[in-house]
Amino acid sequence: MRARSWLVLSTIALAALSCAPRAIASPEIDDAALRSRRTQLENGLTILTLEDHATPVVAFQMWVRVGSSDETRVTGLAHLFEHMMFKGSKNVPPERHGQLIQSRGGTVNAYTTSDVTVYTSVIPSEALPLVIALEAERLANLDISEHTLTSEREVVLEERRMRTEDQPGGRAREALYALTYQALPYRWPVIGWRSDIENTTVEDCRDFFSTFYAPNNIAIVIVGDFDEDAAIDQIRENFGGLEPASEIPRHQTREPAQRGPRRAEVHFDVRAPIFAAAWHTQPVGHPDSEALEVAAEILSGGRSSRIYRRLIHEEQIALSARALNAQFARAGFFGAFASVRPEVGVDRVEASFVEEIARLRDEPVTVEELESAKRQIEVAMIYRLTTNATIAGRIGHDVTVLGEVRPLEERLAAIQAVEAGDVMRVARAYLIDGASNIVHVVPPPAETDSRGGDS
Amino acid sequence: MSAARVLVGLCALAVATGCGGAPLWDAPPPAVAVSPIVEPGRLHRFGLDNGLSAIVLEDHRLPRVSLGIAVRRGAASVAPDRAGLAGFAAELMERGAGDRDALELAATIDGLGAVLSVGAGWDSITVQIWGLTRDLETMLEILADVVLRPRFDDEEAIRVRGERLASLERATVEPYFLERRFALAALYPGLRAGVPLAGSADAVAALDASAAREFHAAMFVPNNAIFFALGDLDADALLERVGVAFGAWPAGAIPAAGPPLPAPTPTARRILVVDRPDLTQTRIALVHEGISRDDPDRIAASLLNEAIGGSGFSSRLMQRLRADAGLTYGVSSAFDLRREGGIFGVSTFTRVAEVRRVIDLLLAEIERARSDPPAGLELEETRSLAAGQFALGMETSDDVLDGLVNLDVYGLPEDSLDTYRARIRAVTPADVTRVASKLLHPERAAIVLVGPAQALQPQLHGLGPVEVVQP
Repeated sequence: MRARSWLVLSTIALAALSCAPRAIASPEIDDAALRSRRTQLENGLTILTLEDHATPVVAFQMWVRVGSSDETRVTGLAHLFEHMMFKGSKNVPPERHGQLIQSRGGTVNAYTTSDVTVYTSVIPSEALPLVIALEAERLANLDISEHTLTSEREVVLEERRMRTEDQPGGRAREALYALTYQALPYRWPVIGWRSDIENTTVEDCRDFFSTFYAPNNIAIVIVGDFDEDAAIDQIRENFGGLEPASEIPRHQTREPAQRGPRRAEVHFDVRAPIFAAAWHTQPVGHPDSEALEVAAEILSGGRSSRIYRRLIHEEQIALSARALNAQFARAGFFGAFASVRPEVGVDRVEASFVEEIARLRDEPVTVEELESAKRQIEVAMIYRLTTNATIAGRIGHDVTVLGEVRPLEERLAAIQAVEAGDVMRVARAYLIDGASNIVHVVPPPAETDSRGGDS
Repeated sequence: MSAARVLVGLCALAVATGCGGAPLWDAPPPAVAVSPIVEPGRLHRFGLDNGLSAIVLEDHRLPRVSLGIAVRRGAASVAPDRAGLAGFAAELMERGAGDRDALELAATIDGLGAVLSVGAGWDSITVQIWGLTRDLETMLEILADVVLRPRFDDEEAIRVRGERLASLERATVEPYFLERRFALAALYPGLRAGVPLAGSADAVAALDASAAREFHAAMFVPNNAIFFALGDLDADALLERVGVAFGAWPAGAIPAAGPPLPAPTPTARRILVVDRPDLTQTRIALVHEGISRDDPDRIAASLLNEAIGGSGFSSRLMQRLRADAGLTYGVSSAFDLRREGGIFGVSTFTRVAEVRRVIDLLLAEIERARSDPPAGLELEETRSLAAGQFALGMETSDDVLDGLVNLDVYGLPEDSLDTYRARIRAVTPADVTRVASKLLHPERAAIVLVGPAQALQPQLHGLGPVEVVQP
């Protein structure tokens, strides 16, 4: 065992380490998500409930299978609409939804991704009936007015300025998606283009609502200290009368194979330039997912990882750097990101990062790297079982995107099954020099003005 | 919205009310059961002869453990010309300890799938390691190495210094960092508290391994430290191992806390414009002195803060700035409670053209908090929000242990987590009224703006003296 280690160690710790079975006999893990109960109403609404009385806390989430990638004419509509869900309904005035839940000691929020829109609450058990009633009320009676849309549009524009327009990292992300996806509806940002946010109408919001917010496009997930039967009965009564949609329209576009590398440069007043890159991979749930995840972990998981050691520790050319296996419902990419040290050129960071990507294709990773990466992924998965909200989040994601809850044991087994040859195979299949998408965020050349009228 | 849904709404409403009664959102909130935050059987406290105290919280639901040591001093104890030393030393502690150099230590930790973190705050420094129960032995050994035997290698010190200087350089164009930096400078010129935790470039450039070594030797004494652990472990067995690992750690002099923070500060309104010509949005901070972590008014102050700003969606400022006017995406306020004093601050951001309107609204709302403080239903809902969200914030053993360690760091009563909700309920409208006039001072707050000075200056007439600074 010790001989396999690439470290020269001579400590008691190593003895302890090498006594542990390295070929990971996973500890007994209680995967609570597997005990969740699935109920489907006649109108197609999916309900997932999981009672756990360890703490007096309930996580309530409503997962709607609509994201920015479902938008057709107006980008950013899924996200702007998410904001409008808090702006009042027939019987509840604007903002009162959130205030009511907070005044009962709960928290409330929502987020939108390219694939889903999720409304989340964490509440004391006593507040669950109210949260269910409020959720049903806004689905049944949402009231979108010109007045509330006008002010909320400005709120979203402020959000866009904060996250993207004045933010070099946001600029890099936006440019990378637009470069990587030329056909798929992942090419525009979740928050949308500024001009679309500015021009979204009440009619756009109403159409969007009636198209996508149908019970057969929604899953409700409840995890924690509550009575399952009572909650399901209340949901049946409150939501059962909603009309299902006959058809939820989806984009049919596929991304054509990328022929040749692509580059973009974004000018911004940064001291630390940004390097960002993406290679096309596969959607979530694809059998290559685990090998890609292990590859990303070997590159940048922890301070013993290849990218950390080379870019930050040895060459000292980056402030931070990471690889990322990003997967969506209809596509995926393998990403590389680095914050370049002020005195260093972004090209130098790109060269080192890309060399490390090439090394994954050219030589097998070591057994030690493989085991360490797997262990890091495993521990992170176990830590995601600690709160009701993270368990509910996993259930909601799996059911919405994959169709069913994927057992943790199955995920861990798939991670364990990854071998050095798999990492090399996926690197060769996807991380190709001729199909890279690379973005640099750098200061503008002295003589030009980087700021256009529109952002 | 289709007609069918409106129809459905009626029946949903009927059901939500339980037929005939008021809808649930009009009904008074149900009583919330108050269960203990810390169940007595799970919590174990003990102490070693050298003065090290310890808390262990058993939680057998998952095969994981977290171990740590916190010392009850931090960056506040550092001289202003060494601003950044605490964070520098903390970072260096992660870069090699005991027999392992930086990369060997990293490889051991990564090989366990564990995470090691050494963090320096104003009033404490915390070393913590998370991982799986089966690796407890190795994790405890690493913790002891990092706390007792950090190597402070010269080569690593040079590397960490370079990294921290580069980070500070990167931050000179980050709006949030600039807001923070100039707000602190406005409140505490010339003091350590007047510089962000990360320090100043001048001070960091002068740091080396021996500075870190001396700082560590002075700060890490067992009689001013607490060991903490949680997870799937046996408290008695762990106690024995902690005795072996830390029993020989010699007690030492307890380092001085930082100097008391001056108050009142500032003494007169001033406006600082940090010039960033390229930004489309301006960050706005309004700050003046606050209160210390052990101030008897802290519970009333926290309710007042939650009602006017806080961090949620329900506050007066959120309603006025975001919901009514669409002027911002977020506005927050906080009393930052430290051992030797504290800061009250409000922070938001808006498009450049609306900055004056937002400043006027902020000042008016803070003034109104004094003339028309939260009372009645507003105060009742705020109390309920604070008590409930506190309980939700204690969902995991990690949350509870963090809370207990924080109480220890500040020398506050051990049962504070369990008495907190009762103390919230005990705050009266008169208390809130009193702290509002005592603790809020919009007339002499410092206002920091980060944005294009040329477009901002014409908006600032009549507010007070304006100073434009370069980042």
